[in-house]
Amino acid sequence: MEIIERIKTNKSIDNQTEIQKICLHKLQLSPLPNPKSELWRLSNQSKFSNFLDYSVSEKNPKFDTPYPNTSQNTVRLIIGENCQIKLIEENYSIQQLSEDELVKYIKKQISCFDQNENWGDLLNLSLSSSKNILGLKINGSKIPPIEIFSHASSNSLNAKTLVIFLEKNCDIDLLQINLGKDNSSLSQSTFFCLEANSSVNHGVVSYGENKSNLLNSLNVIQQRDSEYNLGSLHFKFNYARFEIRIKQSEGNAKTNIKGMQITKKDEQISTYTRIDFNGPNGFLDQINKSLADDESHAIFEGSIIVPKIAQKTDASQLSRNLLLSNLAKIDTKPQLEIIADDVKCKHGATISQLNEEELFYMRTRGITLPEASKLQLSSYFQEIISFIPVSKDKWDLLDKLLNEN
Amino acid sequence: MQSQMKESDPILEVENLSASTDNLPILKGVSLSVYPGEIHAIMGRNGCGKSTLSKIIAGHPSYNITNGDIKFLGENINSLEPEERAQSGIFLGFQYPIEIPGVSNLEFLRVSTNARRKFLNKEELDTFDFEELVKEKLELVKMDHAFLSRSVNQGFSGGEKKRNEILQMALLEPKIAILDETDSGLDIDALRIVASGIKKISNAQTGIILITHYQRLLDEIEPNYVHVMSDGQIIKTGGSDLALELEKKGYEWTDKFIKKT
Repeated sequence: MEIIERIKTNKSIDNQTEIQKICLHKLQLSPLPNPKSELWRLSNQSKFSNFLDYSVSEKNPKFDTPYPNTSQNTVRLIIGENCQIKLIEENYSIQQLSEDELVKYIKKQISCFDQNENWGDLLNLSLSSSKNILGLKINGSKIPPIEIFSHASSNSLNAKTLVIFLEKNCDIDLLQINLGKDNSSLSQSTFFCLEANSSVNHGVVSYGENKSNLLNSLNVIQQRDSEYNLGSLHFKFNYARFEIRIKQSEGNAKTNIKGMQITKKDEQISTYTRIDFNGPNGFLDQINKSLADDESHAIFEGSIIVPKIAQKTDASQLSRNLLLSNLAKIDTKPQLEIIADDVKCKHGATISQLNEEELFYMRTRGITLPEASKLQLSSYFQEIISFIPVSKDKWDLLDKLLNEN
Repeated sequence: MQSQMKESDPILEVENLSASTDNLPILKGVSLSVYPGEIHAIMGRNGCGKSTLSKIIAGHPSYNITNGDIKFLGENINSLEPEERAQSGIFLGFQYPIEIPGVSNLEFLRVSTNARRKFLNKEELDTFDFEELVKEKLELVKMDHAFLSRSVNQGFSGGEKKRNEILQMALLEPKIAILDETDSGLDIDALRIVASGIKKISNAQTGIILITHYQRLLDEIEPNYVHVMSDGQIIKTGGSDLALELEKKGYEWTDKFIKKT
């Protein structure tokens, strides 16, 4: 883990920015997360080491984006490549955050970071150079859909950061795509701030190639009367972690999450979510699906924090899992921490295999076992995929999952 | 499996069939032959093995054949997969049709129909052509087109599920249809619609096995033979009047025919 040695000796980055200095300083005290902590205890240490094995690259070799942008209506941005954007139209504007705004916001976030819980973000911000940070300020109405790409190139570790301010009363559809090349590691941190009465349909689709790794962290702050809808899909990674932290800072906000991770071969993909209700009348509806095949390992740990101030919270968290092989493993732990006494909170988990009676029924209609399994899986995937915005018309995700994965 | 069959050859022959699940014997030497154009009814108390017989003929993987043979169009099908049996022309209408959330009924019917058509060396149908075909078949069971856009059997009433089974039978054009308690849960009107559908689909080349508890289905579709099952065996076979006799006397009357093993 050359990179950790370099962080320890503060030799990792030349011309460090203010943010990099702060984060490196925090990491130097304890450069690795505690493997015994709740958040990291199930993480495969050898795969995690593999994530850190590549040397940091600030270069962004020519990237061929999949699925050409055929719609003139969609704004497409690639972090590290074409971060220059200033789109001011009659009804809306999409502009870059100024350096000052960006630094101020990130510094505020870092100030409350925990070395263990936010290790992924600290590493990301230590390694992200200015050109690999994209900050956007969006306001207005009738905003076109936005696609944002992050990618890691072969034999290197790339760190990309995205910061988005969604100003009052506006709503957007945003699809974030994280792509890992063969033998690569991608560190992606996203900071999303939804101002009052704003709404976002956010899709996060991450997929890799052979031996690609991903540390994906998503931090969302929701102000009152905002609505945050997240549809996410992670597959084809040797090792991937998706950490979601959402804070309803004043309550009176709505969050819907539908996420899925698919593991095959000996892959390990995990999702950690923490939803904080910091005010009354918050709403959460979360479903996380895992599908584990071969000798792979899927992990879900979710926590919902409801302090005394968060009365009348209505939250539900469900973990649904499909285990397709005797050697595959699924760990799931949805949990609630409730102090408030007037709330409606529920959580649950199910683990099952493909339904034998459904399969037999389809087979008695002449449908072969592989086709019947595919039909069943497509219905399992469909609930999540249909929740991912922007992707419907051109990103044939269902086909990708059923035929390529 | 498209054998050269003579008109007089049976479509289905079950010969001394014994089967078990989890080492528990369920069928204990069942024999039955169905010839083209024949309608057979199988009756018997709950748990006597009627539904198990139908599932074993359809190839349910939970049951093991411990003795005997199932021959379809002259060939032994003991080791065929359920889908191979279905493609070759065996249809099982379920007592409790399975709900498959998220799978569109239309797509399910199209994939099934094309699997059968492929076996018959007929051209597979695209969505457009299939819609035409299915529209015509919907008439047989008086089903609304809206059922096609819903998930398979999800949210269907008991009667709608049974009509969907007969719709599948109409599309697949089987050589033999085994209908497991198709009449259960149907009101009088729905029973008539289902019975009329079955009659329109069946012809001189097909065979039908009706598994039922009640005479009312047999009032609509008169069987050539009625078999009474008890404890995994066929203990009595007769004509359609046997069902009437059973209706009058109950199953106790047939206990005297049970073979001592």
